[in-house]
Amino acid sequence: MTTLRDETTRTGARPVPASTGTAATRVLGGVTLLALGVLLYLAFVASPAAGPSQGFDAVRFMYVHVPSAWLAYLSFAVCALCSALYLWRRTRSRFWDLLAGASAEVGTLFIALTLVTGSIWGRITWGVYWTWDARLTTTAVLFVMFLGYLAVRRVALDVEVRSRRAAVVGIIAFLNVPIVHNSVQWWRTLHQEPTVLRTDLSPQIEGLMLYTLLFGVLTFTLLYAWLVVHRFRVAWLEDRLEAAGLGRAIAERRAEAGLDEDPAVEGVPAPAGPAPDPSGPAGRTTPEVTAP
Amino acid sequence: MALTGEATAPAATATGRARRPRLRLWVAGVVIVSALGMLLVQGLGNATLYFRNADEAVAQRDELGDRRFRLQGTVVGGSVREVADGVAFTIEYAGVSVDVLHRGDPPELFQPDIPVVLEGSFAGERFESDRMMVKHTSDYREEHPDRVDGDYGPAGADAPGA
Repeated sequence: MTTLRDETTRTGARPVPASTGTAATRVLGGVTLLALGVLLYLAFVASPAAGPSQGFDAVRFMYVHVPSAWLAYLSFAVCALCSALYLWRRTRSRFWDLLAGASAEVGTLFIALTLVTGSIWGRITWGVYWTWDARLTTTAVLFVMFLGYLAVRRVALDVEVRSRRAAVVGIIAFLNVPIVHNSVQWWRTLHQEPTVLRTDLSPQIEGLMLYTLLFGVLTFTLLYAWLVVHRFRVAWLEDRLEAAGLGRAIAERRAEAGLDEDPAVEGVPAPAGPAPDPSGPAGRTTPEVTAP
Repeated sequence: MALTGEATAPAATATGRARRPRLRLWVAGVVIVSALGMLLVQGLGNATLYFRNADEAVAQRDELGDRRFRLQGTVVGGSVREVADGVAFTIEYAGVSVDVLHRGDPPELFQPDIPVVLEGSFAGERFESDRMMVKHTSDYREEHPDRVDGDYGPAGADAPGA
């Protein structure tokens, strides 16, 4: 990722990459696909059905539901960590802000998947799609909080201000993760208590069911990494494009208003004459950032 | 801090203009956060008492009256009877049992010796429910056909349809 960072900060010197894929991410993508195939086999063929009190085949929902929940936790943890690194002046950079956003976006996808698979699984084993117990309620709140975080990231504001606010929201929203995880122990819930991540460290699951679950977690981790790398790269390119377009627009407006205080905005040269056409596609032009 | 700035220089200076939307944003933020907080506390307050166990419900029967609440207990083996518009059975928790009349179809996993959560109210001694949820445990064991009878207790004989 540092190579990408070096590459794109010198966009002027090198052409903008045409794809977000690299040799490494293609290998990662291939391995992820393979793992997903193996997971399907393990979940549907190799692993056994559970007992009658667990709804026999319904147990197979676990191999998607639990990994996606855990990876959502991880995504939000990464988002909070990157947000903190962004807020801390010594480490502040667009890199952490964009990585936080990419991770939160993938995390929101995973938490949505958790809610959907849990709802279907719940209909089969509990008999209802939804109930307002502590686990389900806190998870729904977590989902809404990160939708809010993603909305804050899109507010039309100065990039720095927006990123700072998003970072604060990201950290606050993450505080809900331990509440979600512990909800089944702090309150009475319809949702079961932890099977694997238990305080007594003795998983209540055995054999191939446990291995399938752990393999699911591994697979979803690979999927998470692949999605985040690509989402981050797209965000990074968008950010460069936006910065170049914005710098140019500011310079144009300044020239229009006759202000010439410090026209050099982040290396974007101010246009010579009056702005040609204010309605022109300023934000859409390819960045022609030239190194000073 | 921002307030004094507003009071002394009303919208005249550049800083005053810059601070007013920021103040408004802070106020909006505080309102939203406190509303969310109240919602959480309220919601979780209810969720804290998501269900009453059979023994607690029996102890509080007088104050509960005909109020609607959720009741939890384990279905007693051999107590399940199909009735005209649902099922009748007994649940038990911590040695206290409650007779239940459930109207409607029970969930597919409904069976003896499984914990259930019922929504409804007391009608005299009996609890009448119209929404039943099966509470499955965190214990995942492989299904061994030869073990079903021994490990799942007297379930076999009483299971619906058996």
